[in-house]
Amino acid sequence: MPRVTLRVNGAIHEVEVEPHDTLARVLREKLGFTDVKASCEKGECGSCTVLMDGKAVVSCLLLAVKAYGREITTARGLAREGKLHILQEKLIEHDAIQCGYCTPGMLMSAKALLDGNPNPSEDDIRRALSGNICRCTGYQQIVEAIAAAAKAQGIARGTEPKP
Amino acid sequence: MSIAPAQFQPSEYFKPTTVEEAVGLLNRYGASAWPIAGGTDVMVEKNPSIRVLVDVTGLGLDYIVSHEGWITIGAATTIAEVAASPLLRGGPCHILSKAAQELGTPQIRNMATLGGNLCRPSPAADCAPPLLVLDAGLNVVGVTGQRQIGIEHFFKGVNQDALQQAEILTEVLLPPLPPRTGTAFVKKGRVAVADLAIVSVAVCVALKDKSAVEEVRIALASVAPFPTRVRKAEDLMRGKTVTRDLLSAVARQASEEIRPISDIRASAEYRRTLCRVLVEQALEEALDQAG
Repeated sequence: MPRVTLRVNGAIHEVEVEPHDTLARVLREKLGFTDVKASCEKGECGSCTVLMDGKAVVSCLLLAVKAYGREITTARGLAREGKLHILQEKLIEHDAIQCGYCTPGMLMSAKALLDGNPNPSEDDIRRALSGNICRCTGYQQIVEAIAAAAKAQGIARGTEPKP
Repeated sequence: MSIAPAQFQPSEYFKPTTVEEAVGLLNRYGASAWPIAGGTDVMVEKNPSIRVLVDVTGLGLDYIVSHEGWITIGAATTIAEVAASPLLRGGPCHILSKAAQELGTPQIRNMATLGGNLCRPSPAADCAPPLLVLDAGLNVVGVTGQRQIGIEHFFKGVNQDALQQAEILTEVLLPPLPPRTGTAFVKKGRVAVADLAIVSVAVCVALKDKSAVEEVRIALASVAPFPTRVRKAEDLMRGKTVTRDLLSAVARQASEEIRPISDIRASAEYRRTLCRVLVEQALEEALDQAG
C-alpha cells in the first residue's frame, strides 16, 4: 500500500492509503481524527468539512492522496494551548449545539468564512453555511454564534468598538 | 479479460504534470481509466468500472487570463475561482461568474472545476447555459494533438460529451462580443442556494441600434437531456425590433421547444411554465444592459 505524508493541524503523519481512500476515511479510521464526522458521504451534508490550505472542502469526496503536500485543518486544530477558539466558545454560549454531529463541519465552514471576511453580514454567514446541514434545526443559534464570534474577533483586533 | 468488481476500488492513481502525460496514461489504460479533477462527480458516482484515476489538477490548467478581448479559462480552474474572477466581472461574461456563484455549496465550489462541470455533463450543469450563449470554444487534447470544439457540439446526452477516448478538455475560450451586448443568467431551484436547478436560463443579446436585435442566443439547463440552445426561439427574435409582444412570443416558443421531464424536483409542466417566465425575465435583464 502506498504511503502518503499528510499534514494535519500542523503535525506530519505518515499513513498508508489506498488510491480510493477518501480523506474523511483516512482521517477518522487511520489517524483517529474522529472530530471529522462522516454522514452522507456524497458531499451534501458538510459534516466532514475540513480546511485544505484554508479553504473549506468536504473530505468525503476528497481522495486522501490529493491532500498530499496540503495543509489540512480539522475542528481539533482550532483550540490553542488548551483554550477553545472563539467560534467554539460562542457556539457553546449561544446554545448552538444540540446533538453536535454537524458542529465540527459548521466550525470549519465558519472558520473559512471569518478568515476571508472578518465582518460578515447575516446573509454572508447563511451562505457560508449553505453546505452544512443541521438536522436539529439549530441554524438560528449557529448564525448568531458566528456573528458574535466575528464581533468578538473584531473587538480583539481593535476594529470593532468595545461594548 | 477481468470482470470489474462491484465496488469503486481503483487500483492506481496517477498525478501527471503535463497534458501529454495525462493523455498517454488515459490512452494506455483505456476505458478503465478516468480523469479526476475536483472529484465531486467521480467520488459520488463511484463507478465500479474505474480501475485507474488520472488526476488532471497538476497539469497547470488553473488560470483565467485575457488577451486581445478573449478570455481563456483553464479547465482545472475551480468553480470558486470562476465565481470570484475580476476578469469575468463587469462585461457580458459576468453570467459565468453568476452561475458559478450559484453552483452547489461553498465546499463543492472550492473543489469542483469548470472542466468537470462540462465533461460528462449533467442535464443541470450550471456553467453550461452561460457558456452556450457566450459562444465558448473548447480546446481538447488527445493522442493525435489538439482540436477545438464549439460548446454547442460538446454536449451529446445525459453524462455524454464529445470527448473521445483519451481526450481531455484543457481550456474554455470566451470570444470578444460586440459592444452593445447584454447578458443574463437566472436559475431557479427548490431553495435559494445549494440545489440543482429546476430550470436555469442564460441569454445573450446584441443590439444593432436602439431596439433592433443583431444577434441573440438563449440556452437552458435542466429542461432536456443536456444543456441546450433554443434555436427557433432565437430565430423569432433575430433582426426584429424589441417589443413586449415579441419577448412574450420568444419566451413561449422557448417553452415549447424544450424537452423537460418530471422528476423529484419538478414536473415537466412546471418546467415549461418556469422556462417561459425565466426566459422573458432574462431577456429583459439582458436588453437593459445592452440598450
